Amino acid sequence: MNEKKLFEIVARVFNIPVNEINYELNSENVENWDSFTGYVLLDEIETNFDVKFTMDESLEIKRIEDFKNILKKKGINFE
Amino acid sequence: MEIKELSYYINQAKIIKPENHKNKIRIAFVGSFTINGFEETIQVQCNDEKINCITYNSPYNQFNQEILDENSNLYKFKPDIIFLLIDNRTILENSFYFSNINSENEKKKYTDEKFNEINNLIKTFTKKSHSKIIITNFVIPTYTPLGIYESKIEYGIKEIIFELNKKLKELSRNIDSCYVYDFNSFVTKFGEKNILDYKKMNYGDIKINFDVIPYLIYEFLGYVKPILGLNKKCIVLDLDNTLWGNIIGEDGFEGIKLGPYPEGRSFVEFQKVIKSLSENGIILAINSKNNQKDAMKAINEHPHMILREKDFSCIKINWNDKISNMIEISNELNIGLDSIVFFDDDPVNRELLRMSMPEINTVELPKDPSTYAQILRNLNDFNTLKITKDDIHRKIMYKQEQNRQKLESSTENLNEYLKKLDIKIKIKLNDKFSISRISQLILKTNQFNLTTKRYQEEQIKEFVKDETMIVGCSEIEDKFGENGITNVFIIKTKPNEWIIDTFLLSCRIMGRGIEEGIIGKILEIAKNKGIEKITAAFIPTEKNKPAENFLKNYGFEKEKENWIFLLKNEFKIPDYLEVELK
Repeated sequence: MNEKKLFEIVARVFNIPVNEINYELNSENVENWDSFTGYVLLDEIETNFDVKFTMDESLEIKRIEDFKNILKKKGINFE
Repeated sequence: MEIKELSYYINQAKIIKPENHKNKIRIAFVGSFTINGFEETIQVQCNDEKINCITYNSPYNQFNQEILDENSNLYKFKPDIIFLLIDNRTILENSFYFSNINSENEKKKYTDEKFNEINNLIKTFTKKSHSKIIITNFVIPTYTPLGIYESKIEYGIKEIIFELNKKLKELSRNIDSCYVYDFNSFVTKFGEKNILDYKKMNYGDIKINFDVIPYLIYEFLGYVKPILGLNKKCIVLDLDNTLWGNIIGEDGFEGIKLGPYPEGRSFVEFQKVIKSLSENGIILAINSKNNQKDAMKAINEHPHMILREKDFSCIKINWNDKISNMIEISNELNIGLDSIVFFDDDPVNRELLRMSMPEINTVELPKDPSTYAQILRNLNDFNTLKITKDDIHRKIMYKQEQNRQKLESSTENLNEYLKKLDIKIKIKLNDKFSISRISQLILKTNQFNLTTKRYQEEQIKEFVKDETMIVGCSEIEDKFGENGITNVFIIKTKPNEWIIDTFLLSCRIMGRGIEEGIIGKILEIAKNKGIEKITAAFIPTEKNKPAENFLKNYGFEKEKENWIFLLKNEFKIPDYLEVELK
């Protein structure tokens, strides 16, 4: 359920269909992903999952899977 | 307008096709910090208002280079309006943190230095560009290293910012094209904690949080609308559960909720906000299904009514449908539907109005009336770049217009009626004191406008200085009172020929042959100067049908695209008009 929620946010921010979202997406293979929209994505994930990423965590993020791993550390269930 | 999240605007900006909109504006953002997302948001919000908006974002933190270098991309972009955003950390540099180290005198000197930098930027810009410039003021810091002792010192960090903001305001009062946007109040409204996220600031110098950017841009749109003449002129109001609680026809005079108690205060507050807008020249009207006698008694006699009969320029209280009432209001006040904002608590009426009259801004109201006042305050539709003497008198002038209409219906012969009006036309040429009103008319007159050319105030000033051009305007007066400046004309002069670039008449004074009096006087002046030929043009738009036949009926002859009048031919001024050149 949280995977669906995460993918829906990514789809909305980058304006791509939700069925094309996967964990391997990164700033290289997503056209709209630049340093600013990457931060907009992080901001929307923080708001919607009600968590805060530390600065170090924010800088770690290279692909969608990194969001999942950090969210898992914060107790969000991805099973 | 519903405000959405930033990512919506970023995506939507790629899809919209605003090229078809008639209204166009070029907007530049110049900032001392990251202002990504601003361009996309304003493009989409403008598109929602049917404005084609072309934007430019200055490179990050290069406001000095962009403004001081006349070959910069900012000037090449040729903006109509620029927003200059400088944050308090940038302007104060180390003083933001260490203001306590310096003596009070040093701080005052520092304030002057910093203001001079900004002053220089703004003056340079206004010299090099015809664009309007909006600078955001500085946010009063909520932290001081002195802590509780701050209140014991005369001149601390807060005073530096107070002083800078005060000087900015003075500067904008002295430069017509410069405005200060009160960003400090915006931050107060949303709360500093919600605006500034330290992680974002350290990450990418993002100093305005994403979720508030769309709200800030909506405020910026408040400057765009009046530049294009898209600001609203009239508020039309329902009565029951809009101006007061309950239903006058059922609950009676004593039963309506209005006054200093919990259920009554919301309506008092709402009426006070409406009243304050009407003092700035917004006209008010009523469109209500009601028993007229009951409703008028409440309006005139209820002890807690703020708005009284005299505050309304047009009152339609009857059992007719809201649409026909709206048409009558628009006709009687002679204003377009697109100049109207409508408040009605009934969602069915709102839907009906939105469907049949989409030009009207029918405001969405939640069920709870305690929100009404704030909703009205937050609309960015009533901004004007200038409040002129005419704006303040507008309410009275509309009232006089209704008296004129009463006389008109009691006089059978039109010529008789016009004679009885004792119309006096006073024409002024190149009058510096009328420029702001001239510019206002040029920006918003749609109906009786031959060419509908839009010029900003700065351009009009250039025309007045230009010896080959004549900028004229007329004040109209009749037995019911003064209408103020309600006509503008701009003429390009050549040795033998005058070309009428602009000729317009405010809709308030249409239908009285005044245009013939003015054009006749222009022809007379030209003839006395030895001019042989007058060239005019009619450029049709969706709205200027009332001016379509004017040139032809007056005796101009069609020649290719233009209309020509040879001054060897006879011309006349209607005999019931007194036309005078000041």
